[in-house]
Amino acid sequence: MAQPLTKLLVANRGEIALRIIRSARLFGLKTVAVYSAADAQSMHVSAADEAIAIGPAEAAQSYLNIASIIVAAKHSGADAIHPGYGFLSERAEFAQAVSDAQIVFVGPRPEVMAALGDKVAARRIAVAAGVPVVPGIETAEISAAREFAARAGYPILIKAAAGGGGRGMRVVAEVAQLEPALEAATREAAAAFGDGRIFVEKYLARPRHIEIQILGDEHGNVVALGERDCSIQRRHQKIIEESPAPGLSDEMRAKIIDAALKLARAAHYTSAGTAEFLVEGDNFYFLEVNARLQVEHPVTEMRFGCDLVCEQLRIAAGGKVSAPADPRGAAIECRINAEDPEHDFRPATGTVLHLSVPGGPGVRFDSHLARGAEVTPWYDGLLGKLICYGADRKQARGRLVNALGEFALLGVTNNAAYVRDIIASEQFRDAELSTHFIDEFFSTWKLSTAEIDAAVVAAALANGDPQAEATLQRNSNQHRSPWDGLNSFELWRSRR
Amino acid sequence: MKLVRAGDSREIDVEVISRDGAAVRIRIGDREFAAEFTPNTDGGGILVIDGRRYPVFSARRKESILVSIGPASFEFKPAEAASRRRARGLATMEVTAPMPGKVLKVLVHDGDLVEAGQPLVVIEAMKMETTLAAESAAMVKQVRVDEGQTVDHGAVLIELSPPPASSGREAAPRAG
Repeated sequence: MAQPLTKLLVANRGEIALRIIRSARLFGLKTVAVYSAADAQSMHVSAADEAIAIGPAEAAQSYLNIASIIVAAKHSGADAIHPGYGFLSERAEFAQAVSDAQIVFVGPRPEVMAALGDKVAARRIAVAAGVPVVPGIETAEISAAREFAARAGYPILIKAAAGGGGRGMRVVAEVAQLEPALEAATREAAAAFGDGRIFVEKYLARPRHIEIQILGDEHGNVVALGERDCSIQRRHQKIIEESPAPGLSDEMRAKIIDAALKLARAAHYTSAGTAEFLVEGDNFYFLEVNARLQVEHPVTEMRFGCDLVCEQLRIAAGGKVSAPADPRGAAIECRINAEDPEHDFRPATGTVLHLSVPGGPGVRFDSHLARGAEVTPWYDGLLGKLICYGADRKQARGRLVNALGEFALLGVTNNAAYVRDIIASEQFRDAELSTHFIDEFFSTWKLSTAEIDAAVVAAALANGDPQAEATLQRNSNQHRSPWDGLNSFELWRSRR
Repeated sequence: MKLVRAGDSREIDVEVISRDGAAVRIRIGDREFAAEFTPNTDGGGILVIDGRRYPVFSARRKESILVSIGPASFEFKPAEAASRRRARGLATMEVTAPMPGKVLKVLVHDGDLVEAGQPLVVIEAMKMETTLAAESAAMVKQVRVDEGQTVDHGAVLIELSPPPASSGREAAPRAG
């Protein structure tokens, strides 16, 4: 049933909205952006053919507001909606509301999403399909959690049944921490996903996180586009992702891919999705399916030379998935976040005063940042993703180290120097990967004193610079304009 | 001049001893060394110290000097400005928001006695929860926010006073 699409509404913001708009244009679609009051000047708004305000800054009243988004789609005449990741992307009720409004949802069908997007139901499907799972139970009851923990042994992991991306996830080392952790996780899960159900499971000692990219169509075709290793995580948030998974034997890879395909077929999965696994020694355990496009999808795109958003659009229009090309080379992605790695990764906000974007062969930077962009406290702090491709891991890593060296962002504290030091480290070079990588090797990270010295020198030169002072003076005397905020942050230009 | 890095209380004593074209003599504390700075057309420049090249950008924001050295970014304040701020904090013993966000939970009431490490407020920013705890024993003088309220960076959340029967060390917020 071919159904030509003409206009796509992107129900998201930030880098992913921009990335989807780019592919939609390539696919021949008109694009509609939606935005909250905090994002009126965001790059995704100007990138789309039209843009519609959907509410105030609070996500609950804008990017999570199903009614507003459907109205925006109807009003603009969009015949398809792409949810991106996060926000409403894994809410079956949203997919259902979209479909009820006679609009094509770019993602799995609501019932598939309900089954697979829910960790508990997904486990049942996995077990039925013969895929191994980590021992665990669904409960927010302290007594049941305590009983399970006593049986499975501490530490245990508490996470949102509806969630993904580490939100509402906590490791509990001893019984005393159980109750407050359950409470906080329930609250975070409710806030982030509108669903406070909690899953409690055994915490593996030193696993790797390996996931399989899946594409399925309405004609019953399901393909896998290799794996991504996303073991390098901080508080269950992925920081660095790569493909292929270093050191994974062909036999293990084939087994995990086979399990992912079994799952996807059992669930009649359509569109792009990811089956996540924990791998420890010769064992692997199904973790969850993310029934959406993932943050780290570019890693797969670089290796397979494909465009996963275009694939999603083709599938949504009733087309068939393309047979995947043979994967080539290696790709590594790192996430640049608005956070302060020198102060417990405290979230950061601010105005971008300067941005240097890296370039060169095999370098891709997916970001909505530009000079003057505001980073607000309303949404998650992903500023951009830097992805490098190489003929092999060594080349991809070398390119990423160089690219991070070219990167500069002034005005919003971020983790770029931290991820550079990780990528450049011996431990990363030697792929000593596990989900405890950060705890093991980077828990006491500090900037090098040479760089701190250089910064002090630069600050001293800037402070004494008469031209910088003059610029400051001039700007403070200027009449007020919408650009005032930017002008007063004028970059320092030194005399020669 | 004396500079203080944001989030750090240590003063850095730095002096530009001489500057002749690109060549700079600099002193940090008791270490004196040479550097070379060459501006480029995009408002930044290249700083060379000890044979290492650093791409540099810098900007002023209010009383701060922002600097990037490659991918690393820094915020400095002149020491006088920083110590003014600290003095204010000491006098009033305020627990302030370390970032803009929403107050999820207020865990204490006016008049409560709190111990070091006791959680006071839970705030949420960028979908992550941060618990602010008392750094030392104190008495809650006044809770200044309600649950659900949105607060700006630096907003006063709770005023503390020294506990009645103790030496009354400063109680400052700590991210946990």
